[in-house]
Amino acid sequence: MKANREVKRLFVGGLGQNISKADLQNQFSRFGEVSDVEIITRKDDKGNPQKVFAYINIRVSEADLHKCMSVLNKTKWKGGTLQIQLAKESFLHRLAQEREAAKAKKEKSAIGNTSFLEKMGVVDFHVKAVPGTEVPGHKNWVVSKFGRVLPVLHLKNQHKRKIMKYDPSKYCHNLKKIGDDVTNVTPVSHLTWELEGGDDPMSKKRRGEFCAAHSSPRKRIKMQKDEVSAAFAAARARPSRVPGSPPPPRQGEAQETPCDPVTPTLHVPASHSQKLENVFVQTSGVGTTRNRNPMSDDDTDSEEEIRLLIAREESLEKTVWSSVDESANEPFEVVRGDFKPDVHTLRSFPGLGDASCLAGEDEVTGTDCNYDSGDTDEIIAAKKKSSKVKSRTEFSQTEMSDHKKALKNIKNWELSDHCVAAQKGKTNMELAVSPGATSHSSSSRGVGSASESTGSEEDEEYSALMKNCLRVRLTLSDLEQLAGGDLQAPGQDPGSGDQKIPAKCGRASKSQGTPGGLCRGRQCIHPEEIVAALLEGEENTNEKQKPNENSLKPKFQAFKGVGCLYGKESVKTLKERVASDNTNEDQNSLKLDPSSLSVAKGSPYANVSSSELTPLQHAKKASDPNQKQPEKRQSTFESEDHKMVSPSSLESGNRSPTSSLLPLKRKSLSLHVKTSKVGFDKDCCHGTRKPGEGSGRNSLLAPAEAPEGSSSRAAWGSSADVPLPVSSRAAVRAPGKPADDNEKRLAALEQRWRAKEARKQLVRDALADLDGRPEDKPTHIIFDSDSDAEETPAGEQSRRGEEPVKEARSRASGKLFDSEDEESGSEDDSHRFRIKPQFEGRAGRKLMDLQSHFGTDDRFRMDSRFLESDSEEEQEEENDRRTAEQEELAAETLKALNIVQSVLRTSLSGSTHKGSVAAKEFKDVIHYDPTRHDHASYERKTDDKPKESKAKRRKKREEAEKLPEVSKEMYYNVAADLKEIFQTTKVTSETADETPSSENHHGEKVKVQKPTTLTNGAEQPGGFTFSFFDSDAKDVKEDTYRVETVRTGTVFWQGAPRVQDSSSEEEDVTEETEDNEAGPGEVSVPEKETTRFFFFSKNDERLHGCDLFWRGVGSGISRNSWEARTNNLRIDCRKKHKDAKRRVKPK
Amino acid sequence: MRPLTEEETRVMFEKIAKYIGENLQLLVDRPDGTYCFRLHNDRVYYVSEKILKLAANISGDKLVSLGTCFGKFTKTHKFRLHITALDYLAPYAKYKVWIKPGAEQSFLYGNHVLKSGLGRITESTCQYQGVVVYSMADVPLGFGVAAKSTQDCRKVDPMAIVVFHQADIGEYVRHEETLT
Repeated sequence: MKANREVKRLFVGGLGQNISKADLQNQFSRFGEVSDVEIITRKDDKGNPQKVFAYINIRVSEADLHKCMSVLNKTKWKGGTLQIQLAKESFLHRLAQEREAAKAKKEKSAIGNTSFLEKMGVVDFHVKAVPGTEVPGHKNWVVSKFGRVLPVLHLKNQHKRKIMKYDPSKYCHNLKKIGDDVTNVTPVSHLTWELEGGDDPMSKKRRGEFCAAHSSPRKRIKMQKDEVSAAFAAARARPSRVPGSPPPPRQGEAQETPCDPVTPTLHVPASHSQKLENVFVQTSGVGTTRNRNPMSDDDTDSEEEIRLLIAREESLEKTVWSSVDESANEPFEVVRGDFKPDVHTLRSFPGLGDASCLAGEDEVTGTDCNYDSGDTDEIIAAKKKSSKVKSRTEFSQTEMSDHKKALKNIKNWELSDHCVAAQKGKTNMELAVSPGATSHSSSSRGVGSASESTGSEEDEEYSALMKNCLRVRLTLSDLEQLAGGDLQAPGQDPGSGDQKIPAKCGRASKSQGTPGGLCRGRQCIHPEEIVAALLEGEENTNEKQKPNENSLKPKFQAFKGVGCLYGKESVKTLKERVASDNTNEDQNSLKLDPSSLSVAKGSPYANVSSSELTPLQHAKKASDPNQKQPEKRQSTFESEDHKMVSPSSLESGNRSPTSSLLPLKRKSLSLHVKTSKVGFDKDCCHGTRKPGEGSGRNSLLAPAEAPEGSSSRAAWGSSADVPLPVSSRAAVRAPGKPADDNEKRLAALEQRWRAKEARKQLVRDALADLDGRPEDKPTHIIFDSDSDAEETPAGEQSRRGEEPVKEARSRASGKLFDSEDEESGSEDDSHRFRIKPQFEGRAGRKLMDLQSHFGTDDRFRMDSRFLESDSEEEQEEENDRRTAEQEELAAETLKALNIVQSVLRTSLSGSTHKGSVAAKEFKDVIHYDPTRHDHASYERKTDDKPKESKAKRRKKREEAEKLPEVSKEMYYNVAADLKEIFQTTKVTSETADETPSSENHHGEKVKVQKPTTLTNGAEQPGGFTFSFFDSDAKDVKEDTYRVETVRTGTVFWQGAPRVQDSSSEEEDVTEETEDNEAGPGEVSVPEKETTRFFFFSKNDERLHGCDLFWRGVGSGISRNSWEARTNNLRIDCRKKHKDAKRRVKPK
Repeated sequence: MRPLTEEETRVMFEKIAKYIGENLQLLVDRPDGTYCFRLHNDRVYYVSEKILKLAANISGDKLVSLGTCFGKFTKTHKFRLHITALDYLAPYAKYKVWIKPGAEQSFLYGNHVLKSGLGRITESTCQYQGVVVYSMADVPLGFGVAAKSTQDCRKVDPMAIVVFHQADIGEYVRHEETLT
């Protein structure tokens, strides 16, 4: 009994709500050992229990189970009707059982195997043919899949100088069966787990708990912001002033990014930018309600940008392989015979491909930049693994955070003092770091800061210089920032920090900057000094200056952008500033635009951006060898920026820094398609900038630039519009302004340099042109210049300083072009003045004279044909000489043509060739020329006949018009009598009626018979009208013989109108003759004709026509003739029809 | 070097007409000058009158080639078109086949064109019609003979031959010594 007891799982349904496990256990323990009871309560969404059921594991015998079922099933117990069913075993139980079974089986099999092998005592190869088994007896051979034997290789490791054993069975043919390994599986009890509760929303969601209301995004942003700042603080390992900085999860992410470059791009920069933008917006003093809008826009922007990038790549690929793809989609296309492939587009494919390749390259660089999350520097750090670079990354981060913090703190006024202090500390840190940065850059290129640039050789390439310049810029911006920080620090330390007047700040900058410079050496000296040093370094090398220019351009442009606001004044101020009257001018400038965005505000952006972008550019430089492009880019983008500037001057203030940044970013070429390019460029720059955007500047810029981000831009612009509280604005200005001043000064100096440079360039270009430039100048430079020439007018206002250089360049290139043009022109001229072959010689001159009299009309062009008569004596000899050969050749060609024709007739359908000939003839016929003799064949020789017939026709027409009336009257008069008359005639002329079968004949016969029966002349016409009711012809006929004039042309009247039109006279003649031939038919009825004498003469010609239709009583002859004639006519007609068709067809 | 006999001319023209149809007339009777066919070393050269005159100065055994070789007569007096004629025939081709970039190389190595490589085909190409093979970029690649008509091409499986290889520009490299 016990033996067949086994564990069953029972489902017990319909339990009461307050049932307990113990109850169930008690209840069921009567039947067997209850091992496990599981009560499950189903509740509705309000928590009211609806269903309670239980699973019970019970060790029970079959009989007991039956008993249990029968006893307890459908019984009421504790407020419920029980329902007991056998349930499936719990899956865990089953799993455990299965595993046990498997284990047991395996053990058994193992035992069995060994025993078997032992028993056999043979090496069973096939049994052992598991991948990786060594071949018995052969050392370095292993069995792999399918029993294949592979050698084990001993390979020398490249790096470790170690000999590695390469077991092929481990690498190839090494499929293994999975799933039988039961021994080391996780125990069943560990298979289930519970989600441990957490407070984070994700785990809540996992647990199925959703918060009712959507948490406001603003909050989140704030939180993130805090996090980020905290992260930065942590990264800096500095005491951060930001309240409540939890241990940063962000930092880890930031550290990860170099390792995993792809994923972070998507979210890290975005988040960064979000926060930072948020910060910016907040600092701008606009209500926080605005925050959401730009943030979200930015979010979408970044996503969209990525999508756009992908789409663009795809599209580019598509353009390259479009044809292939097309053809791939369709197996092949069928084209018409006259298919003209678009050669241009097809030919342009290579070009396109190139462009796309380059674009792809650019994008690669862009994506590279994209990949490095937050900072390119981090990548560099990863590469270099130098602590310096590390510090550099940190430095950049600090920069961002600095600005952020500064602005934030400005927002939070109560914290301002702390913040200032913090900033001071940070600036110190920056100073500490910046040397590292510079040294890093110098180490990478060998040319670092300004001091290094001095040492750099003059013959260095432009690209190298560009790199150099970038580095220089970096240092410059760093220094500027440092200086700004310094200025701030003193300005805030002594003062209350809240009231920072520009003047004070400026003064402070002067006073504090210089000592700082003195004490810190190169890095933190006064901007002027920096520039001076730089310029000193660059002294005589124009090319070096150029990079410098470039480096300084952005800043200058930033000012220009602002300058749009207050027009020339800013320029003036800039110039004045060159005189180093800093403080006052600063005040002036700031006073000039009190309502609009402060210059200071713009400048920090520029600072931040420039400093942040430099790392990016480092990376880019490393990857991108094209150095010309930045400038190009600048030009394109500048114009665009300018456009953007125009709509709202206030926005321009914001965006101008952007513009200054963007041109530098633009590294992809392709100015061919400008419009599309613009978008593309934008995207590119987005891509490139985004990573570098740890600071969020780009995020700010991105929405501003991207077309889709227009709304956010508008929001931003409006936010900028809102007049800031004076204090806040001052605060905003405070950090930025000194840097701004420096920038302005630098820009002014830069401008000067540029002007000088431009002049030099001009001179050089002029000289170069004199020398004659080699033609092998790369085409893209020409492009470049083209674009420059195009762009300059557009970008004129935005950056006036750059113009000279550009102009010079364009001019140079223009000259390049010009020279080429001239060359070609001269070639053309030489062509023009070359005497044409037909005008050579004396005869030729004559011909020319002749020709000069006439216009250029081809028809009147004088040929050599015209001359032949005059200069025969000259040409004759030549002709004599040539004729033999030419004749030969001509004969040959003729022969060949004949053969061609024959070949074509055989190979093609013969009709086509013939048809073409016929078509030609047809054409001739159409263009009938009376003067040509051969056209006489087309003239009608018998001119008189048609005339006659015309006259006749006219007559007949008149008669026809007249007669019907007459017949009508008759019809009405006589109709009644006629029937009787006819009946009588029918009786009398039964013999005659037998013959006619067709009506026509009948009619004729009637006409013939009438005279016999009818004596009444008045009745006769009526009879005609009756029998031939609808035929006018009869009337006419009747009329004719009533007139009783003998007509020769009666036949004509029947046949002529048709016959004469369609066929020639000969046919008529033949017909007539035929008619005459048909005469014998008449002969068969001579006796009747005698009776008809009254109306018809015996040989009445009028009867000839009737003869056609007359068939005598037994006249086989006439029938035969008739048939023969119809056949003839039919054949004739068909032939003509065919001919006509053939003639028409080729047309 | 001699002019072709009538029979030779016929054979040659029949062959050429397979590719360019009645445009053959344009080859024989050119508006821009007198051109003629000359046979030299069993090869047919398409020569302009000027060159012909110049070539007349060179003795036959020394003359390697003149003008453009259109093809050669085999020992059985069939005419075989050479790839050198492509430049003259391609512009007049009536039936064209464009092959996909992937199949280009295969064709240029002397293989037939499979349907998978067929990019485009003239509409009413009938079977065994001489075609000029183009790349998708519309560069003439050689001569072929349509193994299937256009309609059949639609139906056949991708690995079926649709164009038999006759001559291709790869021969410039492969048969450099025989192309004169």
